[in-house]
Amino acid sequence: MKYLRLIWRNVFRKKTRTVLTTSSIVLVLVLIVVLVSLLGAMEADPSQGRGSNRIVVQHATGLGNFLPLSQRQRIEQIPGVVATSPEIWFGGVYKDDKPENFFGQLSCDPDIYFSKIFDDSTMDPEVDKTFQANRNSFVAGKKLEEKFHWKPGDHIILRGTYIPMTLDLVYAGSYRSGDESNIFFSNEVLNQGKWFGANKYTGLYYTKIARAEDIPRVTAAIDRMFENSDAPTKSMTEKQFQLQFMEMMGNVKGLIHGISIVILFAVTLIVANTVAMSARERVTEIAVMRTLGFRRSHILGFILSESVVMSLLGGVLGVILAKYLFIPGMVKGMETTPMAPFLLNFKVTWMVLLAAFGISVGVGVLAGFVPAIRSSQVRIVDGLRQVV
Amino acid sequence: MAIPLKYSIRNLFVRKVSTAMTVFVVCLVVTVFLFVLALWQGVSRTLSVTASDRNIITMRVGSQAEMQSVVTRDSYEMIRSLPGIERSPAGEPYVSPELISLVNLPREDGQNSNVQVRGMAPIGFEMRPGVKILDGRMFTVGTNEAVVSKNLASRFAGMKIGDTIKTGSYRWVVVGHFDASGSAYESEVWTDARDLQGQTKRQIFSSIFVRTSDSEAAARYIEAVKGDQRLKLEGKTEKKYYEEQMVTGAPIKILAILVGIFTAIGASFGAMNTMYAQVAARTREIGTLRAIGFSRRSVLASFIFEALLLCLIGGVIGTALAFVLFNLILTKPTGTMNFRTFSEVLFNFRLTPPLMIGGLVFSLAMGLLGGFFPAARAARLKIINALREI
Repeated sequence: MKYLRLIWRNVFRKKTRTVLTTSSIVLVLVLIVVLVSLLGAMEADPSQGRGSNRIVVQHATGLGNFLPLSQRQRIEQIPGVVATSPEIWFGGVYKDDKPENFFGQLSCDPDIYFSKIFDDSTMDPEVDKTFQANRNSFVAGKKLEEKFHWKPGDHIILRGTYIPMTLDLVYAGSYRSGDESNIFFSNEVLNQGKWFGANKYTGLYYTKIARAEDIPRVTAAIDRMFENSDAPTKSMTEKQFQLQFMEMMGNVKGLIHGISIVILFAVTLIVANTVAMSARERVTEIAVMRTLGFRRSHILGFILSESVVMSLLGGVLGVILAKYLFIPGMVKGMETTPMAPFLLNFKVTWMVLLAAFGISVGVGVLAGFVPAIRSSQVRIVDGLRQVV
Repeated sequence: MAIPLKYSIRNLFVRKVSTAMTVFVVCLVVTVFLFVLALWQGVSRTLSVTASDRNIITMRVGSQAEMQSVVTRDSYEMIRSLPGIERSPAGEPYVSPELISLVNLPREDGQNSNVQVRGMAPIGFEMRPGVKILDGRMFTVGTNEAVVSKNLASRFAGMKIGDTIKTGSYRWVVVGHFDASGSAYESEVWTDARDLQGQTKRQIFSSIFVRTSDSEAAARYIEAVKGDQRLKLEGKTEKKYYEEQMVTGAPIKILAILVGIFTAIGASFGAMNTMYAQVAARTREIGTLRAIGFSRRSVLASFIFEALLLCLIGGVIGTALAFVLFNLILTKPTGTMNFRTFSEVLFNFRLTPPLMIGGLVFSLAMGLLGGFFPAARAARLKIINALREI
């Protein structure tokens, strides 16, 4: 600790160099925090990792094929099933065709949806009451409400795409959960329309199971039950259901992780280069320190600490900038781009920040290692002889 | 008078380790940048290539993708008699009623993905001149046979000729592999429309695919569809339809820009450090150069050249690395989700010559940014002070 001042002074011996190196760490860390958070937003898990015993029943052939509503009763009779709600992806157009106005529009059974199935979300009981009582009402994720500035009583118009209906819905209130990028409205709204699925078909069954250990049995039972019917099903956990979309996007996770690793490696080289340059310029000075009685281990510690201090400075600054300046700015700046739907669940968790922080220390250690060992190995006579 | 270029080149090799490290950093940054750009280029090309101005996709008003659209059999019959439609040598109008169905199939890597199955009239095949049967033969009407793209067959399990694609209660026997010149059709399974209607128990079509004789006829046809109040349909050229789906590539483009800007600035800071160290170490030398008559401008130019060269070496290696990566290693098609159709669109990474030039320019930009300030410092040195330095 008593050497802290010495290390600090050495870090700032060449201000331009330190500022430049630190800035490159800041840039890279901001980028990584943004990328990893973006990945998190795309993988938004409604149950926030708690796994809430929900399964999704879809047509065995895949999404976009409908299931008869007659299946509902039969699913409900399976032991272990708490409740099941038909759900349809409406996919309508709000305001205009611009991607930033895209959000998930799902129909459900309001009587049970938030109380029994989506029970880990939080919602004002009054809102739920309105939602159940008024069949033309809808609820929205808090983030979505903030984005569109909806107030209870507001009307929205959704122009159907594959379902030929135009919906006029009244805003009831918001809910909070891990995924706040959807709105929900009653199945009855769709059943009033004249399209082939009204009162006959649904897209999915969102189903709540009592205990986690029942899930494999229940999913198998459902799929077996409809195996030879007109509409065979494929049941899976909510998590697997969401993973389907991620799988289809291709290896986004691998891509982002790959990019992160390569640029981290690059920044490590930049820091290593800086530390090596500064150590090389101080060979004589280090030799003098050695003659004064500092040990090899001291020198090793000094150089390594300089590297770590520099990286940490970059890390702290990068984390602060990413969280408080860059990401809010990016969300604001991209409100009108096709990225907007992804950004709704875009938040920087403390886990990510902590990891970024740890990474910066790692970069410092890795980068300082070789120059530190080399400086500490220099023989005093050689060091004193050298003219820089 | 300019300082000989050799001076700058030789100086780069004096401090080998420092130079090598900077070159390596620039190389990595350029490779990553090109990688993301090639990804974006691949998706864009798939959605734009071979799409014709003369082919019109007719869908329900407001539909963003064929899958969302519904067209009745009556509408199909009405469309057949609209103006502007070209006729085949046999005298049949080039009109193909098509039905799209989405099926979830297992990939070779064990994961599942959505694939579009397109039911079409056999004439629909003739209307897409970019599509050719490579192996096997065309499907026969009424037998639930299908042809799949060569790329799709290499990515998904059980799509070899003779295999049966099974999903839910649907069955298709694969009888041929086709090549669609890298277009979006490479991501589809093609079968007969009436067969698909039978299997899916839907007596409707998704869209009507029409070929017109020229762009003027195309406009006339689109007008006619719009004007017919009974239809409630709209026509879009194939080109426009796929351009609208380009939305799928937008996040990748934003990713490329984001990664490009951040890493480029970061790397140029690294280069700047290296150059500052060079200037500091060669202060006396610079003084000498100035003393024997080289101007400030020559010193500035010489150091900027050195930085440009430093980064260009990195750029060349990085571009070469990307080239090798895409031409030798990542040659298999990869896929991503088309957000409009919820199905997988297959594409190849595409490193086009403009992209490669872009990678080199990108590295030069890093050199310019990283070299300018150190060079300016070198140029501003006072001869007397510089010479006094040890």
